[in-house]
Amino acid sequence: MSHSPEHTPAIPGDHGHDDHPIDLAKTVRLYLFIGGCLIFGTIITWAVAYYVDLGDKHLNIALGLLIATVKVSLVCLIFMHLNHERGLIYKVLLFSMIFFAAMMFLFILAQMDPILNHFGNQP
Amino acid sequence: MQIPYEVSARPDTGLYNAKVGIWLFLASEVMLFGGLFSSYVFLRIGADFSWPFHELKVLPGFINTMVLIASSVSVVAAWASLKARRYGWYQFNMIFTLLCAVAFMCIKGYEYKGKFTHYSLKFTDGSVISGHPVPEGGKNWGDRIVFEATSVTINLEKSNLEFLDNLRTKSKDGEYSHPETVAVKFKTPTGSEITLDSGWFKKQHREFMDAKSDLRRTITALELQKPSIDKDDDDAATQALKQAEIDRLTKAVTKAGDEWLAAVKDKELPPTMVLTPVDGPITFFVKENHTMNYGKEQLSFREGTSLQGKLVTDAIQFNVDLIDLRPAPAKMDQWKSLHADSLVWRHLPELKERFFAYRDAKVKEFHEHRKKVAEPELDEDCQRDAYRVEFANNDEKFMSHDDAHAYLHDEKHTINVPRSEKRFYSNFSPSLSPYYAIYFLMTGLHGLHVVGGAIVLGWFLLTGRKMYLSNPEHLANRVEVGGLFWHFVDLVWIFLFPLYYLM
Repeated sequence: MSHSPEHTPAIPGDHGHDDHPIDLAKTVRLYLFIGGCLIFGTIITWAVAYYVDLGDKHLNIALGLLIATVKVSLVCLIFMHLNHERGLIYKVLLFSMIFFAAMMFLFILAQMDPILNHFGNQP
Repeated sequence: MQIPYEVSARPDTGLYNAKVGIWLFLASEVMLFGGLFSSYVFLRIGADFSWPFHELKVLPGFINTMVLIASSVSVVAAWASLKARRYGWYQFNMIFTLLCAVAFMCIKGYEYKGKFTHYSLKFTDGSVISGHPVPEGGKNWGDRIVFEATSVTINLEKSNLEFLDNLRTKSKDGEYSHPETVAVKFKTPTGSEITLDSGWFKKQHREFMDAKSDLRRTITALELQKPSIDKDDDDAATQALKQAEIDRLTKAVTKAGDEWLAAVKDKELPPTMVLTPVDGPITFFVKENHTMNYGKEQLSFREGTSLQGKLVTDAIQFNVDLIDLRPAPAKMDQWKSLHADSLVWRHLPELKERFFAYRDAKVKEFHEHRKKVAEPELDEDCQRDAYRVEFANNDEKFMSHDDAHAYLHDEKHTINVPRSEKRFYSNFSPSLSPYYAIYFLMTGLHGLHVVGGAIVLGWFLLTGRKMYLSNPEHLANRVEVGGLFWHFVDLVWIFLFPLYYLM
């Protein structure tokens, strides 16, 4: 019969980077804090979009997206453990970022297309 | 077969295999959603219409954001619980995560339902009203075309009797209802009486198609007998003989066709058959997208059937909750004439002066806030605030909530918009605008990810006990991988929420 593993420490050395038994209360406190930050960020984004007038709506959009980026960074770094991961994962993500940037660059090229702009301006 | 490195790290990567796999998968997901986000930007920048802005109700989206954040915390806490070997906490957190997933999908369902019952109507002059068509029933036809048919022409090759779904019966007091049976009695061109139901139609269709196949075989046999003329090798006499044979066979083909047509007519199998209702004209409430075209005396269904008779009305019965008189960006400076002569006032004349007063107050308010804008009337932001009015707006400056409710629900405020005044009419589904198309695409795809993630996490919860007792670290790794996917779903929503609901 297998024994119950309740309250036994994590198996050392079996998880790459998590070599230490976890302090559940402390870890969950951190996650709750990050969750609180994300909720706070969401409220701020709502306020920026509806109740704060920065003079130009593009500034509101930029600020809203900046807050969203900070929130996404928190999720990635803390919840997805990207603050202490192995190099391979960063390399995989780097390729994704490069491809994404290339895709957005193509989009910018389409927007700057002189032929499209020329015909677009015709009455 | 034992899969290697499920628990311990592979020496060369420093990671267990499933983790490498999930990150490769998430990298491809970044590209998938990245492509859709760039499409969104592309559509928004290139839009030749006023981009919908602050149109979605924020509260459901906000609650869903809270729900997903809470589930992200609980799923990572579930993993931490397993690492600390606290199975009870793990179960609690996983159940909480799954409840969050259910709550998210329920709220999404509520939002989607609202969009399919809410409609927008654009007039030919560019004015827009929103609200909903009057539900069909009693004396109301809603957004259906009412046609009284004295005869029905069915196409034995193409029809499928779908048009009978649009049949209605009229009671003595003028109320319409779905008929108890759609098996209406008709007279055929030869005077015989038939009941137009699927049994009769299938038999006729089969016989017609068999007869047509016979004709095809006959014609093919005749065509194959035709000699070919070789202009190089055949002398003049041979060519003349061959040509005579070709002419004879061509005549034979024509004759076979004519004989076939006469024969099928005798058997009451013409390609199209005009049927006359025995008990007098019958009424149809037709969905516009079921029609090919229609006029005052005729209506054609897409499935091949057509009606002859009288168009009773093609007006849309509509209750309004919003007026949008923003001109198209290319005609931004023509707002004055659009407002003065808008077709909206033909149907809601009592709101004209009220709208102008509201508009002018809003323009003034905008000007006080944004003194730098020289011509606020031409500013896109000002037009959005001043030229578009929701009846049930929160400050009640346009009308009270009670009045707004009456305009949306009371019969006395129902307007009848003839289709000749309509340029576009749709519910708030993907067909309404590119904004709603990409909104439904991205939130729908995201919703499928939520469902997929919830199924995987639910599986770990239901089947994890055995694995936990034999190898808890293996289960922890599984939950970590499932959790990584769940966090990705959360971070996609973190971008979706501001883009669609707030900006």
